[in-house]
Amino acid sequence: MNARATTPIVSIDDVGVHFPVSRGRTLKAVDGVSLDVMPRETFGIIGESGSGKTTLGRAVVCLEKPSAGRILHAGIDPYGLSSRELRRHRRGYQVIFQDPNAALDPRMTILKSIREPMDVAGELTVPERHNRAIEMMERVGLSPDFASRYPHELSGGQKQRVCIARVLTLRPELIVCDEAVSALDVSIQADILNLFAELQAEFGLTYIFITHNLGVVAHVSDRIAVMYLGRIVEIGRAEDVVGTPGHPYTEALLSAEPVALPAHLRGQNRVMLQGELPSPIAPPSGCRFRTRCRFVQPICAQTEPPWRETTPGHASACHFAGELPMMSGAELHPLKAGQPGRTVETGL
Amino acid sequence: MSRRTLKVVGWRLLQVVPVIVLATFAVFGLLQLVPGDPAAVIAGETATAERIAQIREMLGLDLPLWQQYAQWLGGAVQGDLSTSLITGLPVLDEVLRRLPNTLLIVFYALLLAVGISLPLGILAATHVDGRVDRFVTSIASLGITVPNFWVGMILVGLFALQFGWFPTTGAVSITEDPGRALWHATLPAIALASSGIAEITRQLRSALIEVLSSQYVRTLHAKGLSQSLILWKHGLKNVSLTLLTVIGLVFNRTLGATVAIEAVFAIPGTGSLVVASATNKDFPVVQGVVFILVMIVILCNLLIDILYSILDPRMNKQ
Amino acid sequence: MSVLSEGAVRPVPAPRRRSRFMAWMRADTRAAASLVFLILLVGASLLANWVAPYSPLEQSMDILAPPSAAHLLGTDDLGRDVFSRLVHGAPASLYASVLAVLIGTSIGLPFGVLAGYLGGWVDTAVSRVIDTILSCPSIVLAIAVTGALGIGLTNSMIAVGIVFSPGLARLIRVQTMIVKGELYVDAARTFGMSTPRLVLRHILPNAIQPIIVQVTLLLATALLAEASLSFLGLGVQPPHPSWGQMLARAYAYMEIAPAQMYAPGLAIMFTALAFNGLGESLRSQLDPTRRRSD
Repeated sequence: MNARATTPIVSIDDVGVHFPVSRGRTLKAVDGVSLDVMPRETFGIIGESGSGKTTLGRAVVCLEKPSAGRILHAGIDPYGLSSRELRRHRRGYQVIFQDPNAALDPRMTILKSIREPMDVAGELTVPERHNRAIEMMERVGLSPDFASRYPHELSGGQKQRVCIARVLTLRPELIVCDEAVSALDVSIQADILNLFAELQAEFGLTYIFITHNLGVVAHVSDRIAVMYLGRIVEIGRAEDVVGTPGHPYTEALLSAEPVALPAHLRGQNRVMLQGELPSPIAPPSGCRFRTRCRFVQPICAQTEPPWRETTPGHASACHFAGELPMMSGAELHPLKAGQPGRTVETGL
Repeated sequence: MSRRTLKVVGWRLLQVVPVIVLATFAVFGLLQLVPGDPAAVIAGETATAERIAQIREMLGLDLPLWQQYAQWLGGAVQGDLSTSLITGLPVLDEVLRRLPNTLLIVFYALLLAVGISLPLGILAATHVDGRVDRFVTSIASLGITVPNFWVGMILVGLFALQFGWFPTTGAVSITEDPGRALWHATLPAIALASSGIAEITRQLRSALIEVLSSQYVRTLHAKGLSQSLILWKHGLKNVSLTLLTVIGLVFNRTLGATVAIEAVFAIPGTGSLVVASATNKDFPVVQGVVFILVMIVILCNLLIDILYSILDPRMNKQ
Repeated sequence: MSVLSEGAVRPVPAPRRRSRFMAWMRADTRAAASLVFLILLVGASLLANWVAPYSPLEQSMDILAPPSAAHLLGTDDLGRDVFSRLVHGAPASLYASVLAVLIGTSIGLPFGVLAGYLGGWVDTAVSRVIDTILSCPSIVLAIAVTGALGIGLTNSMIAVGIVFSPGLARLIRVQTMIVKGELYVDAARTFGMSTPRLVLRHILPNAIQPIIVQVTLLLATALLAEASLSFLGLGVQPPHPSWGQMLARAYAYMEIAPAQMYAPGLAIMFTALAFNGLGESLRSQLDPTRRRSD
């Protein structure tokens, strides 16, 4: 946890990302999101598919331009820069995508792919680029023999290592990991997560960890934001959010998490989400979660819930945050919530 | 027609407007492709300065470009496509006089193409990779690579010159003597149909194979429906849309291919008109023919779109 | 589990490009035959002066003669050796096909990429223009453009190329739109790659495959178009030989010597067949649903 009073490395201020859809309607994939990410922390963003978390991550690395609000990189507005300056600036803000296969150009060798960011930067000599590429391959656990291979000859985990090596060549300050392990085999997920942790210590990286998998995010993150239908509904330290969820949606997410325990040890207390995710084109009035909330009250349809801080640094956008008879993380996950740690067991 | 269909038709009509406007630009712009002074090029090398000036004035070439366009468009809207530089006759009259001869062989060819390729396509699709299929697909790939006009020449050589079954050249107006008109049009239509047969057969074959191998049709098989019933009731119904699209495409190509066919059979149609006037630099006539043919194709595409929207209920939702 | 455990596995050697080509040629005899035919044709075109026994323009008193030992395919109405004219007509036909496709691609490619990459109103405008040009029968348009540019082989093939360009632009547009949405394009953007470089490095190389297929098929179409235009007297001008123009002469003497029309017609047909065979085979070879094996 980094409570140091420094400039946030990413400051998201009331950001909206809207896409036009047919008949002049707009899809607000991200709608009024604000959060700060501090240097060297790991910030987790969790939500279902369709919650806008990927779009938010793309906006952080300037792949989507915010339609409202703004995103500052260490105090700098990237869209205030000239296009030349922006291209130089954005090298410090990288992303690892969910599908490592799609993130590599199928027609380029592994070495070419890893060298590409340095070729674009054009700052090093060609032998230096080559050496750094090989060095990074070794650092992420890839044999240099792969240098002349093509992506289709590698496994998913190996390709993800290539993607990691590729962004590391730029010595970035921030890496957005967009579901970076969810497409991989479970056994390899742990390897890659450990690699991320090692690299963070080594290079002083800041991560924004985007996932739908609460188990992953709770273990690697210092702080967590929970997204639902384009909005953040809860934000706080990882152990607070997982331990004492303040928003009914977080409770439901925790409950949906599979528990690797024999049946008799598993809590019987499961909260099932009812209904389907409403269309983000026409989100429900008031609180967006009200259509699926088990505590819904008339006020939820009328007014948007304000932020309520239950403990310092832990806030929820719910009219009744802190007042609801919700189950704690310990009840839902007898073992997990008790021992938050930074290393991931292979049994994940 | 249901209200929905009417709405679709209205929408399609609206979409056609910009295409027509662009087409007028393109047709008008043809003259701008002429290198140097169009008037001098049109008048020819031996022309006097007077003649060049006369042509320039006639075509309005001394006006600013947009005024030339406005003048041309104004005329076109009122049915005046200017006059031929060689005969001095109105272009529209000449085009309309020749159009029936062209359309007769084009539609005759289209009918032949559909009539022949329908059984061929079905035969091939129901015997995939068998000997029949291989024979049909080789014929089809041959049909695409054989020059139409060469087929026409062979047909003339065999059936007109050697056997004397058909007249070698010329055309008879369909309104004067329908029987003789069709008799005259048969060889040109066959020659013209050769590439259409190939194209429709190929598309029909692959569309049918796709439908027949679909989960849905396999379920019907499992339910005990006979092969021929499935083919007629479900296969053809599902490929009718593909067929419609291909016919639209083939119509466009046939309308183009007829130019060389008209030359082989000495048919006084729009094709021979455009060749003669392009050779003689009679640009108002060239523009007139292109304009009328584009309008016909646009109309035909519109018709196909409308048919499409009636046949395919999915399209109506939009 | 050790971090290196997965990566330390040595990669297995992949098949070489050359052996892949040979495997393709062995598997598809039609493609192999097409390629051999085209190579021979290009060779004959380059060495026309040595391959042809006579000059294509050399006239003799022996007119419309049937095939003989002296004249393999007989002589034409001016007593010129048909085989020699056929050989000398090949370069004109190949030049015409390549020129038309080259022009079509060089107009269609930038417009297609532009429309597909930029989207928005640029896309709408380009697409409307494409629709419009495509709604004109292509040969008629080519004739009209040839008439405007001036009659001759090069001009008529520029016209055919112009007529080809909207179809190619449409194909390239769709391909560009597909590739533009790929993650590796996004990744390259985060590295700070400029748009022109992005298009050249990632979009074009990945969008080009179907275009290569289409271009090969268009070579056949161009060949047929050249034959038609030369037959109509708008292409190659006499006395220079071209297959279409030889057909036009044969047509004039059809009643006396009907056999004259077979050689040039068959030459056109076989060449078009070879282009098509190669294109169709390339198409199935590059088909992504069949690519898992490599």
